[in-house]
Amino acid sequence: MTTTPSPAAIAVESRLFAALAVLRVVVLVNAVGLNIYHRNSFDHPTAAAVCVAAMIAWTGVAIWAYRTPQRRTKVLLVVDLLVAVALLLLTADVKGADFRATIPSSWIIGALLAWSAHFRARGGFTAGVVLAAADLSRRQELHQSDYGNAFLLVLAGTIVGYLCASLQEMATEREQAERAAAMAAERVRLGRAVHDGVLQVLALVQRRGRELGGEAATLGELAGEQERELRRLINAQDSVALGSSGPGEDTVNLTAELARLERVPGVTVSTPGYAVELPAATAHELVAAARACVDNVKLHVGADAPAWVLLQAHPDRVELSVRDEGPGIPPGRLEAAASAGRLGVSGSIRGRIADLGGTATVTTGTFGTEWEFVVPRPDLGSTP
Amino acid sequence: MIRVMVVDDHPMWRDAVERDLAQAGLDVVAVAANGREALARFPAARPDVIVLDLQIPAPNGIEVTAEVARQNPDIRVLVLSASGEHTDVLAAVKAGATGYLVKSASREELLAAVRTVAAGDPVFTPGLAGMVLGEFQQTGQDPNEPRLTERETEVLKMVAKGLEYRQIAERLVLSHRTVQNHVQSTLRKLQMHNRVELTRYAIERGLDADD
Repeated sequence: MTTTPSPAAIAVESRLFAALAVLRVVVLVNAVGLNIYHRNSFDHPTAAAVCVAAMIAWTGVAIWAYRTPQRRTKVLLVVDLLVAVALLLLTADVKGADFRATIPSSWIIGALLAWSAHFRARGGFTAGVVLAAADLSRRQELHQSDYGNAFLLVLAGTIVGYLCASLQEMATEREQAERAAAMAAERVRLGRAVHDGVLQVLALVQRRGRELGGEAATLGELAGEQERELRRLINAQDSVALGSSGPGEDTVNLTAELARLERVPGVTVSTPGYAVELPAATAHELVAAARACVDNVKLHVGADAPAWVLLQAHPDRVELSVRDEGPGIPPGRLEAAASAGRLGVSGSIRGRIADLGGTATVTTGTFGTEWEFVVPRPDLGSTP
Repeated sequence: MIRVMVVDDHPMWRDAVERDLAQAGLDVVAVAANGREALARFPAARPDVIVLDLQIPAPNGIEVTAEVARQNPDIRVLVLSASGEHTDVLAAVKAGATGYLVKSASREELLAAVRTVAAGDPVFTPGLAGMVLGEFQQTGQDPNEPRLTERETEVLKMVAKGLEYRQIAERLVLSHRTVQNHVQSTLRKLQMHNRVELTRYAIERGLDADD
């Protein structure tokens, strides 16, 4: 309760006091009206007039004083409560011991709610008990309704105090979340600037190294590897950011998963610029099939042989292709392997895709080999 | 002679590109280190081609592309990006850039790219082709928006699969020129697509109320 409140909490409190200022005027008008109505029941009419004048004056002072956060001190709140208590206690002297309605009547809730807003539930409870005690202490006889009113005072003070505290906490939490989000965005921005600088230098080293030849070329190659790796990482991170607002956890962003294949030397991965969400099992099978094709290229064509992976996302299906420019699969080899009872790589790839309800076709010739997988896409309800 | 303007905030890189271009006999008419300089020098320098880094101090490369394309629709913008971040590159192409290259491309690749865009032909990487395809395959497309023809899609797919124009021409039994025209037309449609989106956005927000 004594920790320094956040700016958001203070803003909430200020709004509460602004609302309370309106309420104070309303209950003041009500109290003054009631006193005029009961003007014949006063033993000391002059004293009663002074009491009402004091009530009007204090309402003005309180509205002015509570407007700025700096003036909402303990002293102000205590005085506010004391004024209300004093007017309650004076009722017996001004009206006579057999009074029914107090002079301030409902006007006292101004002080009560001020305590709730500023000191939260505990403050509301305290003020409620003090006001209830003051109200009941000087009554000659206790009616059921007097007790009921007193009970309501304590209850209302406490509950409103609790609600004020919740509002302030929520405002503080939201402020913290907003600040965290702003900080994260700033970190990403800085990260980009830093990465960009590093990438520039790596690209330059790679370029100049290639031109100079010799040892410099080796350095350039190393720089090139790092450059590709960093670029891949940045793009994978982007895909994560894009996909984070997508459907639930049981789906996987195929765009980001495929980007990992670029780590393999010679492999180029082309995808849409947005996240492609697929059920996790489907996505993993597709990536595994693509990886098997890429491994096959490395095995049969060469470790540095280029390969191109392309993902196309249609509303109802995804198409994934892997292409190389190797010598192609010799005619009859796939059939021979199958008739010899060996499943082979291509058999296992076909099996994987068939299990997903899709088709796998392979085109091969002197131009190279191209695998194409078409897999139906379940309706996930939201596509970017 | 091709008039080139080089925009990059990295002095080392800017000098290297400028030197390479000058040695190859191109006319580097202006250089700029940020978007503000680029836009200030662009009208007087009257370049044919702008070699533009996307990550430059404000206004960024995408905004610069949009502005120069507005001032001179014939300008060719070749985007050089160190990170090759998908969304940035795609935004630049939608804004009017006709070529994209990662910065690690070799001197020869850069020169070839500058000459290609200067001749009015797009420079595509397979990665960019994949993204452009993706834009046309998204769900919920308005039937009034430009769509790719079957042939255009076929050509673009092949670019995305890493085939060179020469190989595509061979496979589809087309001339090299026709293949280039198809690729160029996909870019134009993408930029049009972008304009349709912008217009619809403006209408939805009531921005078209006055003029």
